[in-house]
Amino acid sequence: MNQLIHNQMPNNSDMLCPSEAIIKDIIDENSTIKTFVVELTEPKQAKAFSYMPGQFVMVSVAHQGEAPISISSSPTQSGPFHLSIRKAGRLTSVMHNMAVGDFIGIRGPYGRSFPMKELENRDLLIVAGGIGLAPMRSVINYCVDNSSRYNSLTLLYGSRTPSDIAFKKDLAKWEKHPLVDVRLTVDMAEPGWNGNVGLVTSLLEDVEIDNKTHSALLCGPPIMIDAVSQILQNKGLEPKNIITTLERNMKCGIGLCGHCYMNGVYICKKGPVFTLEQLNQLDKI
Amino acid sequence: MLKKKIIKKDHLKPFLRKLSKDSDLVAPVRNELGDILYQKIYSLDHQDIDLSAQPQESAKSFLFPQSECLYTYSCAKGYKFEPQRDGRPTVLFGLRSCDISAILYMDVVFMRGPRDVHYIRKRDKTIIIGIGCNQPWENCFCNGTKTGPFLEFGFDLQLTDLGDRYFVESGRARGDALLESWPQFFSPVTEEDKRVRYQLVLEARSAFTRQVHVDSAFKRIKQEGVAPSIWEYLAQRCDGCGGCAYICPTCTCFTLFDRAISQDKGERIRTWDSCTHLGFTSMAGGHNPVNPKKDRLKRRFLHKLYYDYLEFKRPSCVGCGRCLGICFGGVDIGLFVEMVCSDHKEFVEKEPANLLAKLLIETGLVDEKAVQQALKEKNDKEMPLGKILLDKGLITQKQLAEILIQQLDNLENSSPKKRS
Repeated sequence: MNQLIHNQMPNNSDMLCPSEAIIKDIIDENSTIKTFVVELTEPKQAKAFSYMPGQFVMVSVAHQGEAPISISSSPTQSGPFHLSIRKAGRLTSVMHNMAVGDFIGIRGPYGRSFPMKELENRDLLIVAGGIGLAPMRSVINYCVDNSSRYNSLTLLYGSRTPSDIAFKKDLAKWEKHPLVDVRLTVDMAEPGWNGNVGLVTSLLEDVEIDNKTHSALLCGPPIMIDAVSQILQNKGLEPKNIITTLERNMKCGIGLCGHCYMNGVYICKKGPVFTLEQLNQLDKI
Repeated sequence: MLKKKIIKKDHLKPFLRKLSKDSDLVAPVRNELGDILYQKIYSLDHQDIDLSAQPQESAKSFLFPQSECLYTYSCAKGYKFEPQRDGRPTVLFGLRSCDISAILYMDVVFMRGPRDVHYIRKRDKTIIIGIGCNQPWENCFCNGTKTGPFLEFGFDLQLTDLGDRYFVESGRARGDALLESWPQFFSPVTEEDKRVRYQLVLEARSAFTRQVHVDSAFKRIKQEGVAPSIWEYLAQRCDGCGGCAYICPTCTCFTLFDRAISQDKGERIRTWDSCTHLGFTSMAGGHNPVNPKKDRLKRRFLHKLYYDYLEFKRPSCVGCGRCLGICFGGVDIGLFVEMVCSDHKEFVEKEPANLLAKLLIETGLVDEKAVQQALKEKNDKEMPLGKILLDKGLITQKQLAEILIQQLDNLENSSPKKRS
């Protein structure tokens, strides 16, 4: 009977109905961030699942409801996709207690991705703070796997302390890659840390920006986004070359529920990726 | 050519009885407390349909229920969702023009881009029989939003009360089919019927006591924006209860949550939500991009009267006037439009905090500069002026109490103009 109902109404027509997915692996990124390697259990759906860096999915956890989570893997790496999740609230706390082989629900992918095509042949400056590296991990791996299409990629990554640095395995891999220049900073040092100490903005001082060739991609706490975009503009980068992704309370992800509505647009549909130019135009009244 | 017919009032109940055979019937009913509400009719013999006034709530909940189970899920073995589907066709009878217009707006929301199958399933099986309003009620302003008192389209059938009979117009093929299915209840329209109806429509249009200039407000917002003092004034009077959104026939924001039935089973529920609630935009970790309250009100009013106007060339307010009746702070669309269209200084000056500030300066109790600074902080932090002055040590509790009593005396002596 269940099968019959599902056959009559395929998932693509009912956009609020989650599909079952299985957790295939869990990577501890730091004490509060875990990366869940996830695959839809229905083979046809799993095969058809395609996305681009910057898109997100709605994740369901039994009895906990749903939350929007950005995809942290790159579509260039086929197979299961990754969700890097910080323990921040009720649903994510339950998720952190889940194990390999447990099931979650997935809807999506939703939202507009980073403009990977338009960014080709440019020098990319990626600035991320904390869990903000999750969507950027997708971007960086996408660029690394298409390294001939991008000029260069500089990653500035800020963490609170050295032990808070997440995605260590990825950072080590990127450091070895000729396309990527990884620069780390921490707000507070710990014994054994020889790297930069200071906010992520302090790393910007040594970065040369040419508006003709550079694009910046930012993700992190709102205060970081504001500070970094101000500095970048002072260095001559135009708002259309500064791209960020917004975090919002979202219940549906498809432009219905109204939670992410802002000045005439639904962030989940028109965003979550915006250029600073687009955001400036939004905030008119 | 869409049909026009006459039905005698005596024939209405038999007609509805026929309709209710295969469908659920919803109509305005007066309950034992004297409230007229759209209700499901279980027995036409025991529930009295009452078309004498605008129902207190819109018909929104019959297509977009206040609380609705969208899926049941099982998480015993795997994690599967099963859609809930409800059944019978529904006849919405006696809908006012504003409420039909609101359904047309909901159609756009739920059917244009992402198609909401839960709404569409109900909507496809819904027949709408409206009734035009021969006279507007106290808070009605559908003349300002162009959504009444009579409609040109949007209904299957529209009735006009001609005294002992109703003039019946069909608005689409399905309406024609209804008239053809039961010809025994309907008679042809005479020239006299047409003349009487025409006269009634004209009279209804000229009978509005309340003028809410929604179009002018839009133009003014577009040209000049909205003065920050308007948002500050409204925020002081808004309690964030969400009543305006719940009563509003076009407010469609919702939330989704899970309700566990057992350890292995649960339901995914959709309920109405309101953008004036503090938690509407807050996220895990505590960050809230739409805070304080004035930002939430700005979002609410501009969505309906500005951004939707830009997109659809009309506001998503249907002039039903229900938010005017429900808000105890008076923070309704009527007031907002009035403030935008007028010199709103009159409202701002009469605001208790501003009266208090004036009094403090006049009595010389607190220095004018300090009062202005405290007023600014009050608006930023959305805290009472007196509390800020106390915290800063600019005034003692005794002084504050005395001056508040003086302010009350002043207010009583010059009771403010009540908004008509």
